[in-house]
Amino acid sequence: MTVALKINGAAKAVEAGLSDTLLTVLRDQCLLTAAKRGCNQGVCGACTVLVDGRPQRACLTLAANCEGATITTLEGLKRDPTMMRLQKTFASLGAVQCGFCTPGILISAHWLLARNPAPAIDEIRAGLSGNLCRCTGYRKIIDAVAAAGRTAAEAGA
Amino acid sequence: MSVPGFHRPATVEEAAKLLACTEGARCLAGGATLVAMMNASLAEPKAIVSLAGIGELSGISVLAGGGLRIGAMTRHRETAEDARLTGTLAVLRDAARQIANPPVRNMGTIGGSIAFADPAADYPPALVAAGAEIEIASASGRRRVAAEAFFVDWYTTALGPGELVSAVLLPPPRPGAGLHKKLARVSGDFAIVSVALSLARQPSGVAARIAIGGCGPKPLHIAEVDAMLTARLGDADTARSAGERLAAASDPVDDVRASADYRRLVIPRLVAAAVAEARTALEAK
Repeated sequence: MTVALKINGAAKAVEAGLSDTLLTVLRDQCLLTAAKRGCNQGVCGACTVLVDGRPQRACLTLAANCEGATITTLEGLKRDPTMMRLQKTFASLGAVQCGFCTPGILISAHWLLARNPAPAIDEIRAGLSGNLCRCTGYRKIIDAVAAAGRTAAEAGA
Repeated sequence: MSVPGFHRPATVEEAAKLLACTEGARCLAGGATLVAMMNASLAEPKAIVSLAGIGELSGISVLAGGGLRIGAMTRHRETAEDARLTGTLAVLRDAARQIANPPVRNMGTIGGSIAFADPAADYPPALVAAGAEIEIASASGRRRVAAEAFFVDWYTTALGPGELVSAVLLPPPRPGAGLHKKLARVSGDFAIVSVALSLARQPSGVAARIAIGGCGPKPLHIAEVDAMLTARLGDADTARSAGERLAAASDPVDDVRASADYRRLVIPRLVAAAVAEARTALEAK
């Protein structure tokens, strides 16, 4: 019943039944609550985490199938320079309303900037297309990701 | 593996054996469909056979004859990014690119998607237009079925008990063009109507293959329509009547995305647009 994972850099053994998802395990056993349970159907994106370095839906990932996988949640990226930039621009540009979708959006935005450091607006829209904001504050979210990309480009120049 | 009922075999043969001899077992590919159904209590498998540990099922390789083999566990992202899916096979790459969104494309697999056989999904018409075959594995070996025969009915495939999809086999890419034109409510949604079209250059002109998604129990493909387009691709009236012929043969339903009448109305327009776009792509080369 024990599954061995690597979560945010540390080895962790979790208990999992056949139908337990990674999301349940992260929130209830590891007390990592950044990833949220929204739709539990893979549609809303609030549960998005990195599995072996790529954004995936924690709610559609069976914990039992994660043996040996490397999981990174938003908590694990709090000292990551790109994530710190994103958090700064999200705060300064008012890209957070109720905040429920924010952790998933930050994971998607982080992966987008890792692959495309200065994305165009349409590329940001496509990159965040798997994350819904029920407050519908997309405009400022997109502005904040664009600003984080610009900051990175300026810092690198 | 210590979770009761959870199996993670290392070979296709072992997986097929487990599926055949385990009561109530379901195959787990990327999880995008099965786990969503489990979360909604629409599926309650007694046992799960995960395909994640089977190396053979991952990735895209070139076969001896120049065709391509896409392992069943290949993620949509990999298919969307593979530059070998060119010419006539671009139709499949274009379909993969339009599935859902980045996190789901990182999870979802071609084998899992086609085994579920949602007729509004992107791969079914694209595989028919690409002339693909599906490789099916069981404990007694492997067999191949043309994509057209693999999709049987709503959410129903040619897979029998104890069988699983092991690969998608594509013919060698031919010079030409391929595209998947989808009308959807929002980007990444399932299709209201989709048109998968591949055009192969040949000495006498262009050979066309066209299939419609989202408008009946399985992809709609009519050999005569291919022949019409092949004979007179450049003629706008021909594209229009090809679309009308497909609309007349379609069997759409009313659902949350659109009414059946609307879909019948859209098919000819989307076909005409797809043909025009593919011709432009062909001329640009």
